[in-house]
Amino acid sequence: MTPAREQLLALRQVTVSFQGFVAVDRLDLAVAPGELRCLIGPNGAGKSTTLDLICGKSRITSGEIAFHGAPIHALKEFRIARTGIGRKFQVPSVFRELTVRENLEIGSSRDPGVWRNLFRFSGGADTERLERLAVLVGLEDHLETQAAQLSHGQTQWLEIALILAQDPALVLMDEPTAGMTAHETSMTAALFNRLRGRHTLVVVEHDMGFVRDIAETISVMHQGRLLAQGTADEISQDAKVREAYLGSGGIGHA
Amino acid sequence: MDFVVSQILTGLSLSSILLLVALGLAIIYGVTGVINLAHGEFVMLGAYCAWLLQSQFGWSLLASLAVIFLLIAALGWLIEVAVIRHLYDRPLDTILATWGLGVMTQQIVRLTAGGELRYVQMPPSLSGSVNILGATDSAYRLFVLAVALGLFLLTWCIYRYTSFGLKLRAITQNRAIASSFGINSARAYRLTFAYGAGIAGLAGALISPLKSVSPEMGTTYVVDAFMVVVLGGVQSLVGTLASSAVLGETSGLLAYYSNDTIAKALVLIAIVIIIRFRPQGLFAPRVRA
Amino acid sequence: MSGKISRQILLYGVVCLAILAVPLLVDNAFLLNKYARYLIFGMLAIALSLSWGYAGILNLGQAMTFGLGSYCMAMFLKLKTVPIHTGSDGLPDFMVWNNVTELPWIWVPFQSMPFALLAGMLVPALFAALLGWFMFGGRVAGVYAAIITLATMVVVNLIIIDQQSYTGGFNGITDLAQFDILGLTFDAYSASTYYLVAVCLTVTLFVALAVSRSKTGLILQAVRDQEERVRFFGYDVALYKTFIFALSAAIAGLAGMLYTIVMEFASPTFLGVPLSLSIVIWVAVGGRQSLLGAMLGAMLVTGVQGALSETEAFLETWTLVMGGLFVLIVLLMPKGLAGAVEALLRRIPRGERKGNVRPAARQGSKSQPHLGGAL
Repeated sequence: MTPAREQLLALRQVTVSFQGFVAVDRLDLAVAPGELRCLIGPNGAGKSTTLDLICGKSRITSGEIAFHGAPIHALKEFRIARTGIGRKFQVPSVFRELTVRENLEIGSSRDPGVWRNLFRFSGGADTERLERLAVLVGLEDHLETQAAQLSHGQTQWLEIALILAQDPALVLMDEPTAGMTAHETSMTAALFNRLRGRHTLVVVEHDMGFVRDIAETISVMHQGRLLAQGTADEISQDAKVREAYLGSGGIGHA
Repeated sequence: MDFVVSQILTGLSLSSILLLVALGLAIIYGVTGVINLAHGEFVMLGAYCAWLLQSQFGWSLLASLAVIFLLIAALGWLIEVAVIRHLYDRPLDTILATWGLGVMTQQIVRLTAGGELRYVQMPPSLSGSVNILGATDSAYRLFVLAVALGLFLLTWCIYRYTSFGLKLRAITQNRAIASSFGINSARAYRLTFAYGAGIAGLAGALISPLKSVSPEMGTTYVVDAFMVVVLGGVQSLVGTLASSAVLGETSGLLAYYSNDTIAKALVLIAIVIIIRFRPQGLFAPRVRA
Repeated sequence: MSGKISRQILLYGVVCLAILAVPLLVDNAFLLNKYARYLIFGMLAIALSLSWGYAGILNLGQAMTFGLGSYCMAMFLKLKTVPIHTGSDGLPDFMVWNNVTELPWIWVPFQSMPFALLAGMLVPALFAALLGWFMFGGRVAGVYAAIITLATMVVVNLIIIDQQSYTGGFNGITDLAQFDILGLTFDAYSASTYYLVAVCLTVTLFVALAVSRSKTGLILQAVRDQEERVRFFGYDVALYKTFIFALSAAIAGLAGMLYTIVMEFASPTFLGVPLSLSIVIWVAVGGRQSLLGAMLGAMLVTGVQGALSETEAFLETWTLVMGGLFVLIVLLMPKGLAGAVEALLRRIPRGERKGNVRPAARQGSKSQPHLGGAL
């Protein structure tokens, strides 16, 4: 387990229930700064719900979530985001009526105040950074294109770019490779490997090959609880995990 | 004692009118999610139909009720097909469109039937008074109460016990999934809208002997009806019944004690507060996640 | 500054210059007064466009903030007449008729012009800020927010009519003095009043343009698009919405003050449902997402209406036609005339219209993530 003083994100006995259904059950999770943690588990295990709880989309019923040692579970979503937590959602959620450039400007949310942003215009100091981000995700030719006109893959990349624009210390990724080709998936893996260290990532995923490519520590969830935690090899040997999730073929054959 | 009974009866009469007007709005809103700001105009048209049938063709009010229901229901059907069904994914635009339709309807009536007040005769068989527990009440008002309750029960039974009602409940829960099971949600919405409109028309016809008929009469009713729906909770028929009763009695008392303008203002403020703090209504079942 | 933005500023500037030039061509005092009214409606449309078109807040009670501003100016102008148009003790005539013995506390500060001018914009803005905070702080949005704005306006309307000893009730506040400032007197039927309104309109239009083009304006558009998502970037959505709601109210308040000057009275109909509905229609017709479109839409609709207003019958039919047109536009042209114009312009092929293509196009990296450049 990660020693307490090194934890960037700590969930302690986090529980949430929706009208009797316990989606997350006394979950203990801790992530160190710069780590790349993968959160896997069967459908309905509570992985996305856990991400929801961290970023404030859902409220915990009991327990505590701490970021940089300070509790954040009672804060409003935007305040949680301001502490340095960014979330990429499973369902594509770019701003469809706005252009790629405008989307990136919004993602660049280091200064979120109403008054200050009244005096900021397009073409300001941030432009170069945003254009570099666009190049990074291959959208440099589409800066003035409306987001609704992008292909599915391009939309996924735009979402990733938005998170990079936000530049949060902790990035929560919910199934980032959903709908991607093998080539795109391997490029995403490369991107994540470059992000770790400076950023901390928690990635919910189903694609085991991808997980193997990027993970240091994997946390396995099952029925709202933490089932096992360890390296890819460790958990593929774990009997409980095999029974609940992977079948006897092990992680490489899932 | 007389006073109490007579207050209760007055309240019940007001409640029954509220229930009649609100039932259609509640059904439409509950099933399709459309806030029909032209609902008051359906009521108004029902009243005008009653007047027209009586003054031009000599029909008695009771005889014309069924026809009026069908006429206004048909109008509701037309409106759903022509306008509403294109706007289900745009709720703000729906209220604008229904608002516009309401304004148009008022103008058409004003231009064709004139803006003066019209009067509908009460059916002679019901124009007497009835003695209840020492207080007297108009037979007609009791008749309206009976019809209101009857319609409510009919609607309740359709919703709860028929296969059509089951389909409606499925669609209300999740339109997309219901459609994938082969339920023709478009047709169900259309029927629902027509039914809600028809009931409103019926309400207008029933109310017409009690108050005068004018192009603007619908506007007050839509505000009151909306209040009932907000208070009672969307998707709760029982809530509609309960809140009509509560509001009917309350406004009976209020009218007795206070200034009309302030009463109206208080009703609106109450709507605002309820929408803000308890949008699911006071009588709604447990909120879904 | 990109070509698109400077073209927009140029277009707006040209339209405003044309508006300012009108008194050079039109000498008729009655017409100028009429045109001034249309300009004020244009300001109202800009206010609603900011809140509805950009932020997605359908304010069905826009007339409320308009009316509040107009009453502020009316109170000031009424008190200016005190030695002349009143009964005894320096009270406005309607108060004397209502047996009021001393000036109500709420009227007292309106004896001062600076206060009245500030109040005309700040009172509506504060009202809107409170209402906005009430709604958006409670995550009330969309249809429910629209209903609340409508209900609130009707409540204010009812109160104003009811409290006739304070507000003149049904008849409003009439028999006002003329507005004068810096030595200039503004007769409602003079060119100077027209210029006053036109200048205010121009300033409003450009302030609104600046706000809409700023990052705040962009964030508000994102809020309109997907409010939930915006929160997770760290933006306080309730604050943004309240801000634009209050700004829109301040503009409407300014328009209201000008309207009192132009009409020479203030009445509860300025806070009425028909006016609110009309504002929504103007903005829908002109194009809710275009400030210039909304403004011109208002001027076009009210202009045509004014031209037809000679006969009563025409007016009734006009209301019917406008209602029908409104429904059609909501159904078929949600972006209004401005949207139609834009769609037309997009069909015209132009040389450099294909967006900012980088001069050194990379080989085969058109839609592939690059991952080679620095982060």
